[in-house]
Amino acid sequence: MGPLVVYDIISANTNLLLAFIVGIGFGFVLESSGFSSSRTLAGMFYGYDTTVLKVFFTAAIVAMLGLLFFSLFGWIDLNLIYINPTFLWSAIVGGAIMGIGFILGGFCPGTAVCAFSIGKLDALMFIGGLIVGILIFTEGFPLWKGLFYAENMGTPTMDKFFGIPQGLFALLMILVAFGMFYVGDWAEKKFPRDEY
Amino acid sequence: MSKNSNKKYWNPYMGGVLLGLVLLAAFYVSGRGLGASGAVKSAVVTGVQTVAPSHIESNEYYQKYNKSHPGGPLHNWLVWEMLGVIVGGFVSGAMSGRLKWKVEHSPKITSKTRLIFAAIGGVFFGFGSQLGRGCTSGSALSGMAVMSLGGFITMAFIFGTAFAFAYFARKLWI
Amino acid sequence: MKSMRVKLAMALIPLGIIIAAVPANTTKQYKLTAVQLLEEIKDGTQFFTPDAVAEMVIQKDPTLQLIDVRSKDEYEKFHLSGAINIPLSDILSPDNEYILDQDVKMNIFYSNGSTKANEAWMVLRQLGYENIYVLQGGMNYWAETIMNPEKPASSSPDDEFAKYDFRKGASSALGGGTLESTSGSVPSAPKPVIKKRPKKKRAAGGC
Repeated sequence: MGPLVVYDIISANTNLLLAFIVGIGFGFVLESSGFSSSRTLAGMFYGYDTTVLKVFFTAAIVAMLGLLFFSLFGWIDLNLIYINPTFLWSAIVGGAIMGIGFILGGFCPGTAVCAFSIGKLDALMFIGGLIVGILIFTEGFPLWKGLFYAENMGTPTMDKFFGIPQGLFALLMILVAFGMFYVGDWAEKKFPRDEY
Repeated sequence: MSKNSNKKYWNPYMGGVLLGLVLLAAFYVSGRGLGASGAVKSAVVTGVQTVAPSHIESNEYYQKYNKSHPGGPLHNWLVWEMLGVIVGGFVSGAMSGRLKWKVEHSPKITSKTRLIFAAIGGVFFGFGSQLGRGCTSGSALSGMAVMSLGGFITMAFIFGTAFAFAYFARKLWI
Repeated sequence: MKSMRVKLAMALIPLGIIIAAVPANTTKQYKLTAVQLLEEIKDGTQFFTPDAVAEMVIQKDPTLQLIDVRSKDEYEKFHLSGAINIPLSDILSPDNEYILDQDVKMNIFYSNGSTKANEAWMVLRQLGYENIYVLQGGMNYWAETIMNPEKPASSSPDDEFAKYDFRKGASSALGGGTLESTSGSVPSAPKPVIKKRPKKKRAAGGC
């Protein structure tokens, strides 16, 4: 019965060891999928490379389906899974700021660490920028505290928000994802990238 | 064409399925998804704590962090996960011969420009990840897997804004 | 690239249809393992003595919630003051969940003896519910000890008398027996010790 750590099946230290192993898997998959290249990542926004879209959404729907099936078989208790709380405005503004960071920097935090591990110096600069950005946020916290806590919606999930069963939402999500993959493959043909 | 460099990478769908399984494993083991910016935050907090311990006392956000993370950064799940990412990325890079110190940039810009914009992008992303309570992996990817409304909103705004500004930043990439 | 997409779609879309077609697993999962439950049963931490409960009733302890798990008929005939009725067969009904699964009040189950109350406790405790207890001996023992306390032999130690006094006092306060005190005052019974149980929490997150 999972999650293992919540049920005290594994100790806190074993949990950290498993975090390390999960991290290795995460890093390996990211690198092997091409997420260590900022140009692959940025290619998403010009249509010449939609790897990010495909990997990202495939991962999300696979994990979503996996969680639902695990729950169905009684292997995991979904009530104990962490669901990130929704603070509407900070999610919107934070997401928008991250979007600007993404298009300028070409990385997101996870992929930057991954890219740094194979020697990308621009990734190192990006990580340096991350540290500065976090420091700015922390030091100026009183300034954006209002925005940070505004419109707390608790931990709503999409299925409850739309009032449909979880399984149905998962199915819709899968169909939407494949729709986007189709568009992605079409865009790659339409906007080929010149070799550099 | 880019066929040659792409061939070395996995098929994105296969990568996606495997990433999904890694994410599922993270949920099964510890009840939470993947994350990245949290580990950087841990490092920042630890750094500040070492340099100016008294400063921590007076800052609400540090206090909030310390309260929610007893045991310090070395007992932080995300820190260990990110150490794993470094190892995993290195192993994968080594296996396919991609280990090399380099600055990857579009032929239209210099290395220096690329480094400056990488740093600026990092600042934005670092700030945004704190405001949005998580980055692409922690909030958007993990949040979507658990169908969190916040995860979907954050995802939509990360990619939406990036698309909206893509035109202005095109010289950096194409 | 395209063929891989089609293959993946052929694998995932049927799975999605299956998951959309089957009802979600809303079975309540057992939060306590059989071993953990056995430990609690062995320790008997769920039991509250009638004296402790009577004390709380008299003090009008706001955290006390007596729950009568007998049938509705039995409840209507007679029940302890302030008790609400949730028959044993209804304890898993979603309507009662907000009463039973909470961490503010102390829910104390009782029935005629201890059996039914203890059964209710075992079922709910296994689901991880907090703050649920059982009135030791049930209504029968309650009647014996609180409503019609037996006067201790004159050679008994002092605390036997104190207990007796308290029970007489409680009995009169709760509308039974006659007040016949040996010393005049109603000593307070020892406060029940609420054993804190570790609460299962959602995993902490944060990126």
